[in-house]
Amino acid sequence: MKVVTNSARLVTQVLTGEVWPALADRHGYRVGPDGQPFVLPGMGGMTLGVHCGDPATGYAADHLEPGASIRHRDHAANGAVQFLSCVGNQVRLESGPAAGQVGHVIGQHAYVLADFPGPVGTRITTGDAVTITATGQGLRLAEHPAIVVKNCSPGLIDAMPGGTGADGRLEVHVAARVPAEAIGAGVGMISEYANTDLMGAYPGLGDDLSLGLESLRVGDVVALADQDHRYGRGYRPGYVTIGVISTGSCLLFGHGPGPSTLMSGPAGAFALVDDPLANLASWYHDDQEGHP
Amino acid sequence: MSARIRRSEAAPVSALAAGGHRPVEVSLLGLIEHAELGDSPYRIDADGAPYVPAGDGGIVLGLRLGDSVFALFGDHAAPGACLTHPVEAARHALALYCCIGNEAVVRTGAAAGARGAVIGKRGENGRVIAGFRAGDLARMRPGDQVSVRSRGQGVRPGWLPASLTALNIDPGLLAGLPVSADQDDTLDVAVRLVVPARMAGNGLGRPAHSWDLDLQLASGQGAAEDALLLGDLVAVTDLDARYNMGYRRDWVTIGVAVHGSSPLPGHGPGITPILTGPRHALRVREDSTGHVGLTESMLGLQ
Repeated sequence: MKVVTNSARLVTQVLTGEVWPALADRHGYRVGPDGQPFVLPGMGGMTLGVHCGDPATGYAADHLEPGASIRHRDHAANGAVQFLSCVGNQVRLESGPAAGQVGHVIGQHAYVLADFPGPVGTRITTGDAVTITATGQGLRLAEHPAIVVKNCSPGLIDAMPGGTGADGRLEVHVAARVPAEAIGAGVGMISEYANTDLMGAYPGLGDDLSLGLESLRVGDVVALADQDHRYGRGYRPGYVTIGVISTGSCLLFGHGPGPSTLMSGPAGAFALVDDPLANLASWYHDDQEGHP
Repeated sequence: MSARIRRSEAAPVSALAAGGHRPVEVSLLGLIEHAELGDSPYRIDADGAPYVPAGDGGIVLGLRLGDSVFALFGDHAAPGACLTHPVEAARHALALYCCIGNEAVVRTGAAAGARGAVIGKRGENGRVIAGFRAGDLARMRPGDQVSVRSRGQGVRPGWLPASLTALNIDPGLLAGLPVSADQDDTLDVAVRLVVPARMAGNGLGRPAHSWDLDLQLASGQGAAEDALLLGDLVAVTDLDARYNMGYRRDWVTIGVAVHGSSPLPGHGPGITPILTGPRHALRVREDSTGHVGLTESMLGLQ
């Protein structure tokens, strides 16, 4: 993205975490949109076989978290891990058979989510320690003061197509546009943590549930209509939020594939370009072996 | 009517069929919540300004059913006392099983013996909002015990059209609200305000039986929104609240406005859902000037 940033002045911090176990309760079942009980995996642990560029929906999963789900055991330290980790930051494994291999942050959910190349992922499991090189919070676009950027590494900004246009707007390429009606769980929460579940993406269920979002892919950069994520997450007509799809399939009602927030500002500050290649897979993990 | 049960003050539960099963009442204990804040006094409003939240839980004085949801410069202020329980699972049970209209009796403290009623509930960790007469409320303090005679979840009024679901409402209270069943298996409901799904906020994706749904409304948005009072019925279009709350086209959910506005983005006045069903069977009439929803007199709080 051709844009002037303050990246030279951003702080980089070294954070640690571990791959957190998948969690369940003894009752097992949760409830889907039509009242269907389900027991489905997806959250926590190391989820294999789903990477950036792959479909976000269509799995027998709930709150599918691609790759490694990472947090810190200490509450306050976990706050730093969750709030300061940014999409595109490098994640290095420190223990286990995949020690030394690297992946990248693709977003936040209840965890920091990190995607690793397929051969690396199969050697990762719960409890493996990681180091996150966190940088990006505080990133500003000097020529676009109305746009608030968050959770976005300077490297991701550099890699994205677009940039400051001749008319002064910020050109951003997006793989999908999301209507305000799709915003589900996560509204009202802070926007430096977790993500916004999108409803209307339940393939195979009723038409009355669909908002046309069944073809989203993990890693897609998307535009959320009428959403203001500058200071949290809320509805504001005339605003746009740019996010990256970091989680996939949900059967829990009111939930769905979710974008982690990257940018937010008045719609007039953006020039959106529809581009099916606007996906993290276009910019990360060319090296399938995961070498640093 | 073989399952007739009459209690001295309670409405006759036997007037209602519950899927052929007899409804159960359970006395639950709630403790009046103390307001809580974190290490920082500040929250950040939708425009990025820090503010100190007041009224977000605990006992709030000077706010009553019938007041505007924008009456106070507070954050989720509810008219009465919020009840919780120190044991997490018991707190969830309190929030799940209490229904609007359930009788609440103060057991300890200076207001012991005072009677009130559940007027709503709130989400996150679970809170029940109990309303009392102003004089009784003024004598209460956080930690006082309140017993709630819970009943209503799972109860299905016999006159309710088959495609509709009632929740979070005392069986004796629903018929007192501006709802009327028609011959063609539909229900007419009068509300203060109809809100589109895109205005639904915090509470989406959460269980409708224990959370409220915040509406992203702020004062000054419009005359209809500004007219919203605590206790009013509100309809949200394209929202299904049978299980979790979420988007479903051509569906309608009716809720009672139970707490005031919030400066937080994605938050606002909250409704506790009481009816949900397909639009063709749940006919909504918006009445921004003459609407009467849940009132103090209906709950014996005057």
